[in-house]
Amino acid sequence: MPEPRTGVFICNCGTNIAKMIDCDAVAEAASSMPGVVVARSYKYMCSNPGQEMIAQDIGDHGLERVVVAACSPRMHEPTFRRAAETAGLNPYLVEMANIREQCSWVHDDGVAATEKAEDLVRAAVMRVAHHEPLERLSVDMCPNTLVLGGGIAGLTAALELADAGKLVYLVERQPGLGGNVARVDLTAPYLDSARDMLTDRLTRVVEHPDIDVMVSSELVRLDGFVGNFKATIVVHGPEGADEERQVDVGSVIVCTGYREFDASRATHLGYGKLPNVITSFEFERMLRAGRIETKEGRLPQYVSVIHCVGSRSEDFHGYCSRVCCMTALKYAHEVKSALPRSYVSDVYVDMHAFGKGCEDFYRRSAEVKTLFLMYGKGDHPVVRKADPGDDCGMLITVDEQLSGETIELPADLIILMVGMEPREDAEAVTHLVNISQDKDGWFIESHPKLDPVATTTDGVYIAGACQAPKDIPDSVAQARAAAGRILGKISKGKLEIDAMFAEVDEDRCSGCRVCNEICPYSAIEFDAAERRSHVISALCKACGACVATCPSAAIKARHFTDAQIFAEIAGVLG
Amino acid sequence: MAIRANPKLIEELEPYGAEDVMKCYHCGNCSAVCPFSEDPYVFPRKPMRHLQMGLTAKLEGQLDPWLCYYCGECSDQCPRDAEPGETMMSLRRWLTARYDWTGISRLFYRSWRWEFGAIVLVAIITAIAFTLFGMSQGSLADYDGPNAFLPSSAIHIFDWALALVLLAFLVSNAARMWWFTMGRDKTLRMSAGSYLRSLWLLPAHFFSQARYGQCDRKGPWVTHLALMLSYVVMLVLIMFFLAEMASGPEIDWRVHVLGYLATAGLVVSTILFLRNRVKQSAPQYRHSHESDWIFLVLILLVALTGILQHILHRSGLDVAANVTYIVHLSLVVPMLVLEVPFSKWSHLAYRPLAIYLARVRVTALARSRQSAEPARGAEPSTPLRAA
Amino acid sequence: MRIGVYICRVNADVEGGANLESVGHYVANLPQVEVVKALGVLPRLDPVALADEIAASELDRVVIAGDSPGFFKPAFTRAMSLAGREPDEVRLASFREHGSSGDGATERAKAIAACAVYGVPFTLAARPLDTKWGAATLVVGGGIAGIQAALEIADGGKKVYLVERTGTIGGHMAMFDKTFPTLDCAACILTPKMVAVGQHPMIELLTYAEVESVSGVPGAFRATVLRHARRVDEGACVACDICSEVCPVKVPSEFDAGIAERKAIYIPFPQAVPNAYLVDEASCTFVQTNGKKCGVCAKKCPKECIDLDARGEVLQLEVGSIIVATGYEVLDAARLERYGYGVQPNVLTALEFERLTNASGPTGGRIVTKSLRHNKRKKVDEWVFDPEGESPRSVAIIHCVGSRDSNYNAYCSRVCCMYSLKFAHLVKEKLPDAACYEFYIDMRAFGKGYEAFFERIQDEGTFIVRGRSASVTDRDGQMILKGEDILSDSVVEIPVDMVLLAVGLVPAERSDELARMLGVPRDDDGWFTEADYNGDPTGTERGGVYVAGVCQGPKDIPDTVAQASAVAARALEGAMTGRGLQSLTSVKLTDIEARAKSLVPAS
Repeated sequence: MPEPRTGVFICNCGTNIAKMIDCDAVAEAASSMPGVVVARSYKYMCSNPGQEMIAQDIGDHGLERVVVAACSPRMHEPTFRRAAETAGLNPYLVEMANIREQCSWVHDDGVAATEKAEDLVRAAVMRVAHHEPLERLSVDMCPNTLVLGGGIAGLTAALELADAGKLVYLVERQPGLGGNVARVDLTAPYLDSARDMLTDRLTRVVEHPDIDVMVSSELVRLDGFVGNFKATIVVHGPEGADEERQVDVGSVIVCTGYREFDASRATHLGYGKLPNVITSFEFERMLRAGRIETKEGRLPQYVSVIHCVGSRSEDFHGYCSRVCCMTALKYAHEVKSALPRSYVSDVYVDMHAFGKGCEDFYRRSAEVKTLFLMYGKGDHPVVRKADPGDDCGMLITVDEQLSGETIELPADLIILMVGMEPREDAEAVTHLVNISQDKDGWFIESHPKLDPVATTTDGVYIAGACQAPKDIPDSVAQARAAAGRILGKISKGKLEIDAMFAEVDEDRCSGCRVCNEICPYSAIEFDAAERRSHVISALCKACGACVATCPSAAIKARHFTDAQIFAEIAGVLG
Repeated sequence: MAIRANPKLIEELEPYGAEDVMKCYHCGNCSAVCPFSEDPYVFPRKPMRHLQMGLTAKLEGQLDPWLCYYCGECSDQCPRDAEPGETMMSLRRWLTARYDWTGISRLFYRSWRWEFGAIVLVAIITAIAFTLFGMSQGSLADYDGPNAFLPSSAIHIFDWALALVLLAFLVSNAARMWWFTMGRDKTLRMSAGSYLRSLWLLPAHFFSQARYGQCDRKGPWVTHLALMLSYVVMLVLIMFFLAEMASGPEIDWRVHVLGYLATAGLVVSTILFLRNRVKQSAPQYRHSHESDWIFLVLILLVALTGILQHILHRSGLDVAANVTYIVHLSLVVPMLVLEVPFSKWSHLAYRPLAIYLARVRVTALARSRQSAEPARGAEPSTPLRAA
Repeated sequence: MRIGVYICRVNADVEGGANLESVGHYVANLPQVEVVKALGVLPRLDPVALADEIAASELDRVVIAGDSPGFFKPAFTRAMSLAGREPDEVRLASFREHGSSGDGATERAKAIAACAVYGVPFTLAARPLDTKWGAATLVVGGGIAGIQAALEIADGGKKVYLVERTGTIGGHMAMFDKTFPTLDCAACILTPKMVAVGQHPMIELLTYAEVESVSGVPGAFRATVLRHARRVDEGACVACDICSEVCPVKVPSEFDAGIAERKAIYIPFPQAVPNAYLVDEASCTFVQTNGKKCGVCAKKCPKECIDLDARGEVLQLEVGSIIVATGYEVLDAARLERYGYGVQPNVLTALEFERLTNASGPTGGRIVTKSLRHNKRKKVDEWVFDPEGESPRSVAIIHCVGSRDSNYNAYCSRVCCMYSLKFAHLVKEKLPDAACYEFYIDMRAFGKGYEAFFERIQDEGTFIVRGRSASVTDRDGQMILKGEDILSDSVVEIPVDMVLLAVGLVPAERSDELARMLGVPRDDDGWFTEADYNGDPTGTERGGVYVAGVCQGPKDIPDTVAQASAVAARALEGAMTGRGLQSLTSVKLTDIEARAKSLVPAS
């Protein structure tokens, strides 16, 4: 067959690619590859002029295939496909050669890198010749949403969607709503009432006609795909009377939040051994009861707050828990207010007072004469019982960084700022909704910079502290962001599904069902009557597992045919 | 060895003027802008740190506060308005109180009422004592001569007696200063040699106040130097040439020319300082402790009464002159008895002493550094030394 | 139930604060209020004495009313428990926190106090009525926040007008080289979104335009937008650059933060959206001389799409929601004389360095020090960046320049620590032999993956010095940076060839006008004030007006993007349902009081 007319477009990506690869040479080489009628190199292919160049050439040279040699297709394949589409070329007739991540960034020999780039381009050129025009499918978007977690993020997301008149199923594992915010009395930095904020949300959620609240409940199964999920929820009734509910939802927002670090793990702080070493949440209870006193029932003269318990540490969590510093300063103010004659000290590493109004809050707490002691990251204060002669119950030994001295700090009550960590059921959740965790166990967003609430699974979003530690305003913003995403999709009504999926050649299928088991997305259903397997295209992510497994070679992955793969290999080998 | 922090110390320091020190968040700007802050005397941040944490022994052992001349640069630039300059000033007051074994200084600095009361009391006693003494052996009508109300010979003896007592106080306090800052420090070996070699610094800095001159703003240094030198000149004249000064009515120019200069110096400089403090013209004048006012006013009054008495005597009004003399003395005596050993005046002695001891310390440090490993430093920043 | 109301405030200097006296009179007449007491500014409260008072007047509930009354709550809670009362019955009437400022501050304060007296959250009782809502949205500002918000709404199939002051969208992010902590190339991740905005059928992009006035009510705003004359036909221009080549006028390029020049007719940067040139009337000879001189570009343009006589146009937009995403500017570093910015040629601001190290910058991404060049036209020697210039042997980065400093910006600018670490990485990556120093106060690496990035930078060999350096001076031709190295207890003087100032963020110019137009308050630092710090960080006092990104307070890109999507939610809500909430100010005190009464939980 005659080679299809192919255009090759080499991106310099500023200097990202050009600094290592001679792009013009690659273009030159490409122009003599089979079927290539035009080959160009340009500074930024992804930019408007770059895309217009492609569209222009498709028209001018009657291109039937397009190869873009640039960065990883992850970011820009959609861009170039759109460009081709605008020029009337089927988007699946575009192929990308990754000459940045897989070439210019990883090599330091310009000549060799240029040769490799040529091979990659040739591979793409030869592969794309075998591409077939594919059509995307479109499915209906179910306007209902499942919100997992009834903390501040979950409540906010639910209200946002329900206020737009969309039905929300709010599933909370605990018997009550409110999450960790319900355990807090006042919020930093303005010491406004957390309870009022929560009461407001709770009242509205409970009264809202479009929110179906399920407490003591958990998601046990999520089937389907974006726009068309089927969620199975178990509502735990009194003495084991469990009720199972099935609901149809188009999207899922995961707001499962966090749990606090177990302070007894940091043995040097004596939590669990020394009665007057308590956690921040235990101190919140004291504040609410209006009884800030030692276990012996005495008023503490020296109150000390220790930061970064379990956070920013080699032994426990490497990350910063983001809210503890401000909460600690809040305690400094609260102690001074309740016990005007007490001496408050803060043992910290770096003071993270970055939020709006927070630096001012930090200054204020210094003005009320809070004593700040700085210990080194990687080091830790040590708490011990004081000697009988001392005027205090405990002593904190700190290698104080700002003085270079080893300091013994008197204390009667010690508050440990326990950090945040992923909930024990976080991993289970990832399996249920098919999202992933980072090395610290937080859920991974689809892009750390520009897509903080979406995930790699369409229709599943994350918001609040389950994505990474954050304070109330940032959690609320994320919850609304997720709601915004979903409202957009609902308002559109229809969803497009990628055209890449596996197909079963039913004549060749022996009904052995090996593929049913192997599919990680449970996208293959078995027709018992026909004894044939079918691929649910909308669920299929075209991973190819079934294709490789099928003993009778009955499964073909669209856009990943043998011919295409072999051509690509041949191309690389030149 | 761990040092015990004392969160309560800051409260003890507040009456001395350290009201904003807790605001400091240790950006280190002050220590870097200070023209005097240099290894191993890095201040004001470090002393502020010790104060925040209440490390009494560390503070007592510090010479740094005396090496600061309060040019105000640090306070101007402080991002937290923690007033580093004023903190150093209050530390000097506090140290003065610590050096003084009688506890009188502490009393004065913590309550101006006590200081003021004491001054009034001493003044009254002085007045009565000298009046009785005068009555007992002379006549109010005679200023000098055989029948003088207050014969210079007698006053001369009194002056010397007083001087010796004050010197005893001053020396004993200075000795305590030495003990706190050098004596009890077992980590360093200060050789007698280095004490001797650096001894010249004492008079040099006492008379020149050269370091003060290194501040960007020269004004305060000049005024301060004028005040101090006039004071010293006057002291010398009175201690050694009282007879020549007192005899009249004809003027003995050999001594009086100096006398006039010194008096002018005293009056002008004190008035200038008072004006600055009233107008709060610069950071160092923004916060005035009661002791600052009392000191300046006292000197001014002494000078003015001195002038008045001089004029009256020269114009032959001996009775008035004698009365003024009594008033003059009852201002001079409290100034000497109270201000010299127990209050602001004493810094004239402590500053040069600190500079001297600082030098001795540095030489000792240098020697110990040669043998021992370099001082502590966090890894990332150690290469900075090389840079 | 017997209720005591205690009135106090944290700050003495509250401008436009409520009249506490009249608030006092008002609450005194509320049912069950037995005690009303004014405690003044920052009262020193003795909980034991308070307990006696509470016990004496047998109070069952205490309301603390004022600005940030929470600062006094623990004292009262303890007092209640000492008095044997229910400690949970201490309620807050937080005035400033719930929008009691400016006109109507007193009325609002009364409402807030009333709710606290009834024990009902103000935000619950004071929900405005809903009203008809227009489907279109106006987004002010075309930075990443504006872009994200516009795309979210437009992808939802709703109309968006995106108004941008400059000739292109992209904002500051387009100027950046890499983004922390992932080191993604900023252009690579931003340009697709910019292109998407340019191509989106539901987005009407109005660049080189400014909002002149806003009238109407929430849900039915009428915005007057002045579209400056671009003088180049956006549709026809193919960005061939001929006009710019022939243009004789050179001025500093805004996009290159002034370290490179552009012509009077120019395109901000090659990937600009819209991808068309524009004429800067302030520097164009033709415009300045009313057509007497020059005009060569128009003659040379092959597409004949330049009309130097073009006039600006005024547009009237009918929108339901308005999204403010005006972003920020950086502090003028010259204000901090001690760092020698503007005096020492190689003291650069963060933005200048972003452009210097950017592949599309004047040196093609080479980090070099300035070289002296003779400017024939001006007949002066000037310091310029030459791609062939010398690389610095040592670079110092100073944190908190004008931030966390009562003499400049008291607040933390939130992004500087991280971008400074990013700079250190770029320096080390491009100049492995150069020494690099970070002078910081607190290393605020709080975000996801930030702490790990900080550690990576340390491993790369950058010297991390605790201590904000104090001065940059010239000592016979060598720049000397002086600062305290706190952790090694010494004052250091380091010879450096380049100093990067991590300048803080300040509100964009004209935010004050915009705030007035929209009736949205700003805080003391000039940032737009959100409706509720915790509960509603992206809403405002004015119904239908939302804030996203840095204009509400400094924040990094992920946090900005989250806020942008969040405000989109609100706009979509209105557009989809055709209804939305009016301004809080439209709710009458009596209504709030009545509603609060009705919400009192029956006991």
